[in-house]
Amino acid sequence: MNACVASFAVSCNAEDRTGVNTLQSEAKLNRFLADVEKRALRIAEINIRDRDEALDLVQDAMIKLARNYADRPASEWTPLFYRILQNRIRDWQRRQAVRNRVMVWFGKGNEDQDYDPVAAAPDLAGRAPDEELQTREAMQNLEAAIAELPARQREAFMLRMFEGLDVAGTAVAMGCGEGSVKTHYSRAVHSLRETLGEHWQ
Amino acid sequence: MNERNDVTAEDEFAEKAKQLFDESVDGLDGETLSRLNRSRHAALAELDKGRAAWIRWAPATGVAAAAVMAVIVWTGVPGVDDLSAPAVVTDMEILLTEDSLEMLEDLEFYSWIEFSEDTDEALEPANNVG
Repeated sequence: MNACVASFAVSCNAEDRTGVNTLQSEAKLNRFLADVEKRALRIAEINIRDRDEALDLVQDAMIKLARNYADRPASEWTPLFYRILQNRIRDWQRRQAVRNRVMVWFGKGNEDQDYDPVAAAPDLAGRAPDEELQTREAMQNLEAAIAELPARQREAFMLRMFEGLDVAGTAVAMGCGEGSVKTHYSRAVHSLRETLGEHWQ
Repeated sequence: MNERNDVTAEDEFAEKAKQLFDESVDGLDGETLSRLNRSRHAALAELDKGRAAWIRWAPATGVAAAAVMAVIVWTGVPGVDDLSAPAVVTDMEILLTEDSLEMLEDLEFYSWIEFSEDTDEALEPANNVG
């Protein structure tokens, strides 16, 4: 009988400890997602130029990270999260390309043109109107130039520049080697500077 | 010299691009932030689902393990001859009683009685013939 009680007690203690650990990891994941979600949304939005779709992609990436990778070390979450998000973005762009081809075949226009960068522009409160206008224009120009980059250069640039991932983390997120990351990033910066010109700076 | 200027210009470009991006992140509207918040909680609910499944089965698993342990403790380890221990105890009791020791001393006498009884039983049917 004592063995039975002892065994059950051990089971309950293990359960309590596991419960505490789970709550801690949930809080940690919550903090991570809260920290990364806004930048991730803007990165997705700049890629696909549609805020609603970008929100859906970010939510998908969050759910997949929580479902499949929550037990991985927190230091791995950022590259893993962006790898999931980049895959979602690529899938979305492929589907959109097919959809656009079909639409063109049926004589309908490209719905990407519906994206209004002014409407989607952030609300820059507390600024003088002319300064706010300049900032919005500069960001719109940057977004437009980024959109013109080849996909891999775009990914490397945004992960390194906007998310602040190092070369190794970017390589994990992009699923390629560190040398490729350096090459894509360097070419992206060079291309953007040429496109935007000196006046942008 | 040109290379140094180029690096400086590149740094300035990077700084401005990062600053613009950060401002656009900070300027996200309330509705968007609310949707992000809901998305995050939907993701965290996935953790609860996994944990709920584990917790649902944990008590049953614990009770089952305890029951198996109890059965093992009370019935002994399977594979051991269950009769061997009581049989040894019985033999020892017989050997240690005084009567048994006396019986051992007259063992030849009891053997002779048993033999003669068997012989009588064997001869009886032959004697009854006729």
